[in-house]
Amino acid sequence: MALHLNLLHEEILQQRQRQRDPLKIGVMVLIALGGVLFVYYMFNAYRTLEIKTKLSAVEREWAKVEPQVTAAQKRSAELTDIIKTTRVLDEYIENRFFWAPFLQKVSRCVAPNTQLTSIEGKVMDENKGISVSIEGVAAGREPRAAAEDLRQMLVEQLAQSYREVKIEFKGLEDLDTIVNVGGSNMAMAHYTLTVTFNPGAPTKTTAVQPPDRAPRR
Amino acid sequence: MSAVNFKKEQIKKISLSAMGFVFLLYVYFSFFLGPLNRSRNAMTAAMNDKQSKLNSSKDEMSKASTLEHQAKSATTRFAALKKLNSEGAPIAWFPPRIKVFFANEQIDKAVARLENSTPFKEAEMAGWMKYNWMIEIPQADYSALGKAMADLENAEPLLSITKVTIRALPEQGQFQTVDLVATNFIQKK
Repeated sequence: MALHLNLLHEEILQQRQRQRDPLKIGVMVLIALGGVLFVYYMFNAYRTLEIKTKLSAVEREWAKVEPQVTAAQKRSAELTDIIKTTRVLDEYIENRFFWAPFLQKVSRCVAPNTQLTSIEGKVMDENKGISVSIEGVAAGREPRAAAEDLRQMLVEQLAQSYREVKIEFKGLEDLDTIVNVGGSNMAMAHYTLTVTFNPGAPTKTTAVQPPDRAPRR
Repeated sequence: MSAVNFKKEQIKKISLSAMGFVFLLYVYFSFFLGPLNRSRNAMTAAMNDKQSKLNSSKDEMSKASTLEHQAKSATTRFAALKKLNSEGAPIAWFPPRIKVFFANEQIDKAVARLENSTPFKEAEMAGWMKYNWMIEIPQADYSALGKAMADLENAEPLLSITKVTIRALPEQGQFQTVDLVATNFIQKK
């Protein structure tokens, strides 16, 4: 068996101890870890820079588009308002009640022996229809029948254009006055008619049929 | 004994290294990586936000152009309706206009008085007001009145007559005195 003599035992031991110095190893590990962390940091910084570049590009594009978008949004809102307002205005315009045709129909119903002294009509709120009060005098051998003729004529005429036509006598009184119509003296009656109807066009089911009118004078 | 001392020293050094390691990690995450990540996340969020705005802006602009095309008739009609009313306070221009209108229909001395003005209930009509007018005609022939009312209703689509009172004049049965209540829709100035 060969004999080994180690004359540098102490030096080798010291060298080994220096190599195994935990502080030195720790510093080396820290440096290595620091390097890894630095690389990781750089990687993240690169990604951040990349995102920043993209963000700048998007912001530049947005800055170009934003005034147009704001104007488009404003215009859209304006147009939407205009469309809605026009629609509501059109509804109001279409739902108006036209008095001239009504007055024309009334004038067609007035016979020579009847006279209207007052017409008061109003559009009731919330599309509840039209209410009219007609006052006048009728003359004839039977003045009440003349007034009834006027009422029936009004029903007939108004039912052609309106729905739910109701015409009732609110008052009908004989007058003491005698009037000369066509050379003959006739008695007179004062009447008040209440007319209500809906201005919509009549339907077949709701239209009031013209009554049979027999001359009752 | 020297081996034990050496070990203690080693332990000290290991502890020192461990503390250094913890300190390094703390500094790294708190002062370097943390702010960087926060800044990156903020930029990513801002970019996503802008990107979504950009994407929606294209839709928005195409919608606006489609709407512009669709609303052509509505805008024309709206402009025409607006033109029906004159500029300025309604009390200044409406009564003279009514007077002239009825004078042209051979009905003199028509007087229009403002009763009141009310806002609309509908949200769409926030920019408009209802003006209620009392139109008094001291003397008119029934047929001339009917024709005038027909012309008025046709010429003024924003005006609606809500109440009519016609009374025969006691002395002249062929003439009537007339009161009209009319509502006019006028845009707020």
